[in-house]
Amino acid sequence: MLLAGGQGSRLYALTQNVAKPAVPFGGKYRIIDFPLSNCVNSGIDTVGVLTQYQPLELNVYLGNGEPWDLDRANGGLHSLAPYSTSGGDGSWYAGTANAIYQNIGFIDQYDPEYVIVLSGDNISKMDYTEMLAVHKANNAAATISVLTVTMEEAKRFGIMNVNDDDTIYEFEEKPAHPKSNLASMGVYCFTWSKLRQYLIEDEADPDSSNDFGKNIIPNMLNAGEKMMVYRFNGYWKDVGTINSLWDANMDILDPNGDLNVYDKEWPLFARNPIRPPHSILPHASLKHSFISSGCIIDGDVENSIISDSVQVGNGAVVRYSMIMPGAVIKPGAVVEYAIIAEDAVIGAGAHVGSDQVYDDPNKKVAVVGKGVNIAPGAEIEAGAMLYPEKKGGDK
Amino acid sequence: MLKNLHAIIFTNQAEYDLGPLTEIRSMSSVPYGGRYRMIDFMLSNCTNAGIIDVGLVLEENYQSLLDHVESGKDWDLTRKRGGLRLLPPFSQKAGSGNPRGRMEALANLGSYVDDIRQEYVLLADGDLAANIDLAAVFEAHLASGADVTPVCTHNYSGKPSCTTYYVPLEDGTLDVLRRPDKAVGLECLNIYIMSKEFLSRSVKDCAAHNQYSLSRHVLIPNKDKLKIVPYVFDNYAARLTSIPAYLERSMDLLKPEVMADLFTPERPIYSKDRTDASTYYAPGSAVKNAVIADGCIIEGTVENSIIFRNVKVGKGAVVKNSILMKDCTVGENADLNYVIGDKGVTFSANSRLAGHQNYPLPIAKNQKV
Repeated sequence: MLLAGGQGSRLYALTQNVAKPAVPFGGKYRIIDFPLSNCVNSGIDTVGVLTQYQPLELNVYLGNGEPWDLDRANGGLHSLAPYSTSGGDGSWYAGTANAIYQNIGFIDQYDPEYVIVLSGDNISKMDYTEMLAVHKANNAAATISVLTVTMEEAKRFGIMNVNDDDTIYEFEEKPAHPKSNLASMGVYCFTWSKLRQYLIEDEADPDSSNDFGKNIIPNMLNAGEKMMVYRFNGYWKDVGTINSLWDANMDILDPNGDLNVYDKEWPLFARNPIRPPHSILPHASLKHSFISSGCIIDGDVENSIISDSVQVGNGAVVRYSMIMPGAVIKPGAVVEYAIIAEDAVIGAGAHVGSDQVYDDPNKKVAVVGKGVNIAPGAEIEAGAMLYPEKKGGDK
Repeated sequence: MLKNLHAIIFTNQAEYDLGPLTEIRSMSSVPYGGRYRMIDFMLSNCTNAGIIDVGLVLEENYQSLLDHVESGKDWDLTRKRGGLRLLPPFSQKAGSGNPRGRMEALANLGSYVDDIRQEYVLLADGDLAANIDLAAVFEAHLASGADVTPVCTHNYSGKPSCTTYYVPLEDGTLDVLRRPDKAVGLECLNIYIMSKEFLSRSVKDCAAHNQYSLSRHVLIPNKDKLKIVPYVFDNYAARLTSIPAYLERSMDLLKPEVMADLFTPERPIYSKDRTDASTYYAPGSAVKNAVIADGCIIEGTVENSIIFRNVKVGKGAVVKNSILMKDCTVGENADLNYVIGDKGVTFSANSRLAGHQNYPLPIAKNQKV
């Protein structure tokens, strides 16, 4: 069960009209391609995608699940939106746990022994069968994937305090004085009969916020259920903010990094645009960059991800940036430390963003929203956030 | 939706020879343009025109083609009713060899033509790279009231010795010349629209008289009785008539206006779908004037070249004026000039290979050099 209903409000201009999991990532992908590819590569063939916020583009993208080999006669991919019922008691998904609660009927159809609950808004390459193996070997009611973080970082995460045998004895949300450095990744494995029971009990509690972290996990712990951590040490990044989204895009550019997109053992699947190969014209210069199908490149591209159907004109410069599908960088324009959303146009000679310190966690990444037109010669400052309805050149 | 037009694509009518490239596959299955097989263009033209029933006439050497088209899903031709039909010569008499022409190839399909549920049929070859609005051709056919509408061009790309020409004469009639010494008038792109009834009758007539050719036995003898109205298509069209022509037609794609014409977003060209990552250009790469598909890792120099999917060009390697098909690997410091590498060729480190513009060097599939 893939939680894909989040608004992603800290991505501002990028999630104005789309759910966060549908935000383009890494040249050929959307964020949701990572959990979906992980499911398929882990041998999971039945996936429910829980949608709520701005689901249109996400649903169009998912379609019948065919790009992920999830168009199945039995199981496959199902988009699960909240619905109303004859008693009028249907409602929006009130929280992560409530979203699963409202789909108990969907899960029951398949009568599974185990259910994995994933968040559709982080980037990772993860074999869920390893988590399931830990879960089964320990006969646990729930197993929670954790990352080892620094004690300083631990203050920003949900932290699992564990015994020597990796059983969890306590869960603390963003502790001021962390006792452990095992941070929850929002990836859970449950024995379905147990989870089902706790979801029903939680729903009956009017004071509950119907959330896995706040309610279900603590309730199960308090009731003495056996709960394990699964220690994950591969790549994982929450891409909830502009800077973390930018960072993760830069991570995927490294062909020797943990997010190697050319890994034949763990292929990443995506719905592909129908576009021809890209054209590199005589004035182009490309350094440490991704270029995707349908692009026409005649400028300088350095340390950047160029998604499909992007044009970079003669004399234009794109540095340390992520350019989403269909954007046009006109001749002579300069784009630095920026995220340019789909179909945006950067006018000739315009300058978006400015040089930043690569590793600075507080660097200012400029964002130009979907379809925004930046007038020729305009200056867009570092960290600017241009929403679709704003016109950059008019600032 | 063009529910009233059926398409039949001949996949092996060409008499061209591309050496090692066609030893293992039919012309329709020859890779072209960085990520396509020749057949992709005509299949996509059909899909884009709303044609939903497409028959693919198969002759020898069709394994590669079957691997490529599978069920037709990538061209949206997998349908409950109709869709893509693969047509091996199921009614052919044993030992009678490959059909000598289109009419004989159709006769080998038994009742297929009679069973077509549309009133009109489009015949085309699978070895033409062109983005043609077939819906417009069909409209022109209906508007003119012609018996036969051949699609023709002023831009010659065929070999006259294998091609038919339509020459409008001063008195308003049309001359039809099959295999003249040199190209003249309008060169036929081997795309025809006619009624199913006319096609069915012609196939039977030819079979009864041991005749086999559409132009020689059907059109030329009846050119004064039939209303033949050519449809002129002067946009980009490529036929791969020889290895040097293969190089030349590929290099045409380095011109952005040819790419824009062949791959206009209004009528996309579909191909077998593979999820490949973007192509990575390493810090030491130097690439100019190239068409490069997804999934490549480029660490060396690439100029004036067409690079298919998943090709690796190592550090210090230089690839110029060459075509490298899917899964080729160019080792460090290798040097290639006027080379055509078929699928999966490995060029070892420090190797040097050079052909000539008029004599490019083709390397057969999966060879190690």
